[in-house]
Amino acid sequence: MIGPAGASDVPAPPPAEGQAVARERAVGGRLAGIGQYAGFIPAIVLYGVFFIAPLALIVAYSFWQTVDYNVVRDWTLDNYRYFFSVSTYLRTFWATIWVSVAATAITILIAFPFTYWLVRYVPRKIQGLLLVLVILPFWTSYLLRVYSWLNILGERGAINRLLQWVHITDTPVSLFLYDRPAVILVLVYLYFPFAALTLYASLERFDWDLFKAAMDLGAPPRTAIVRILLPQMRTGITTAVIFVFIPILGEYLAPQLVGGARGVMIGNLIVNFFTGAQYTRGAAAALLIAALIVGLLLVFRRSLQVEDPYRA
Amino acid sequence: MREAEVVSPHAGLVKALLGAWAALVYLFLFSPIVLLVLFSFNANKYGTFPFTGWTTHWYGEVFGNYQIKDALTTSLKVAAEVTLISTVVGTAAAFPLVRSRLPFRSGITIGMTLPIMIPGLLIGVSLLILMTSFFHVQLSVQTAVIGQAVYTTPFVLLLVAARLQGFDTSLERAASDLGANTFNRLRYVVLPLIMPAVFAGALFAFTLSLDEFIITLFLIGAQNTLPIYIYTQVKFGITPEVNALASLLLAASLILIAFAFLLPAVLRRGRNAVRAGRA
Repeated sequence: MIGPAGASDVPAPPPAEGQAVARERAVGGRLAGIGQYAGFIPAIVLYGVFFIAPLALIVAYSFWQTVDYNVVRDWTLDNYRYFFSVSTYLRTFWATIWVSVAATAITILIAFPFTYWLVRYVPRKIQGLLLVLVILPFWTSYLLRVYSWLNILGERGAINRLLQWVHITDTPVSLFLYDRPAVILVLVYLYFPFAALTLYASLERFDWDLFKAAMDLGAPPRTAIVRILLPQMRTGITTAVIFVFIPILGEYLAPQLVGGARGVMIGNLIVNFFTGAQYTRGAAAALLIAALIVGLLLVFRRSLQVEDPYRA
Repeated sequence: MREAEVVSPHAGLVKALLGAWAALVYLFLFSPIVLLVLFSFNANKYGTFPFTGWTTHWYGEVFGNYQIKDALTTSLKVAAEVTLISTVVGTAAAFPLVRSRLPFRSGITIGMTLPIMIPGLLIGVSLLILMTSFFHVQLSVQTAVIGQAVYTTPFVLLLVAARLQGFDTSLERAASDLGANTFNRLRYVVLPLIMPAVFAGALFAFTLSLDEFIITLFLIGAQNTLPIYIYTQVKFGITPEVNALASLLLAASLILIAFAFLLPAVLRRGRNAVRAGRA
């Protein structure tokens, strides 16, 4: 709010530029002087103290040590060494990666045909409404979206009750809860809206005349999709992968509620470390997630061109 | 586009298959939520199949439960403070983000969306370290408010920035030509025009705060918000009472979000109506 106030402090315009031009700059367009940045001050305080500083602190903690519940500021790699020396943790680390990869892949594979259908076969007027229906669950509580699956999966869940009710089985099948497949299912459910939205934005911009041209030249639809459509959607697909993969890496609740002991991911280990007051080891585990995120962004950096964030 | 389909011999089949796929997607997206609401009205005390009759008994339980009342009070208090902070901080930052001479503008914008992008778990644990080990403050409602505000502010910022971006600057020039000073220009031209975005941002922030779970879990200490209360109950298995509470929270979120989406249009129409009435 203070930002535009700085507009009145515009230095006198060089004589060559007319008065009108100068005022245009001062009023509607760009601001000038130090005052133009004043609006950032509250954000800088909030994000400097409560976002950047804590992240720096957690990096430092991951290299420090906890001795008798006190943090000793000796720089060491012990926390990381410890993490990778415990076989359960190591297994959880790899499991987190494959669960994230599997969930992301399934999410995209479900979302792609869906958005393709939405863009190609649905009249434009209804597209918006159908898309809103997809994102609607995203705006409801994340906890409740995980919780709602407990009603369905599990020994006393809807699927089992239904099976017993119609006498397909008499003993409850425990297949549906407390293992990794259940976790992947719920993760796909949680992050499907992200993928659908990103893929939609990308498909919607696609020039279908190119597609038609390919088919006119004799390409069967499948070839046209693989050779024309997919290469053009690379940025969109990459963005979708990133938007889905990153939050899944740090997932805590889904594995906690539907994964049980066999569905544990790094997020659960981190929470255990912190509730056990092992801050430095927890910090190292948290940094492993951050490292995986950075690694992912590096892998995909070529196909991620930063566009004007206000477009789309 | 249409001709292209004619070329393919299986066009009809492909269309039908994709349509069926889409139907399955919607079934997948909505059946958990629909079942949740359905079970909250189910007389069966295990909160699951079979359906033994309609009842609003569980809702009565929810309203009579003092723990839920406490959690609701905390939730509303936290949400109000988070909304205030993120609306002020986000709106203030939107101006220089859009209008100042800024190097690396798109980089800074992406940096500002980082709190949305990175897992909430990381925000939660890093703030936990900062609060307890660095500042040595007791965890409380206030620490949870700060953590949530870090997460919700970018939403307000992006909404208001988008609105400022599409702002007709000639209006401000006109006001200035007519002799308005900076304050009046802000008060009578800029604020009314961006208000819908600010309101929408505030509503988003409020809803996100009401639903936020993971950051709050780390930072709230001994208090309960509604999601934290539900979480403590879920550990003991599902109950129809939690289903009822969940349905209420679900309804509240959806109503708030509908408002946030519809508000700008409604405000615009209202203003147009007033203008038309004057003319």
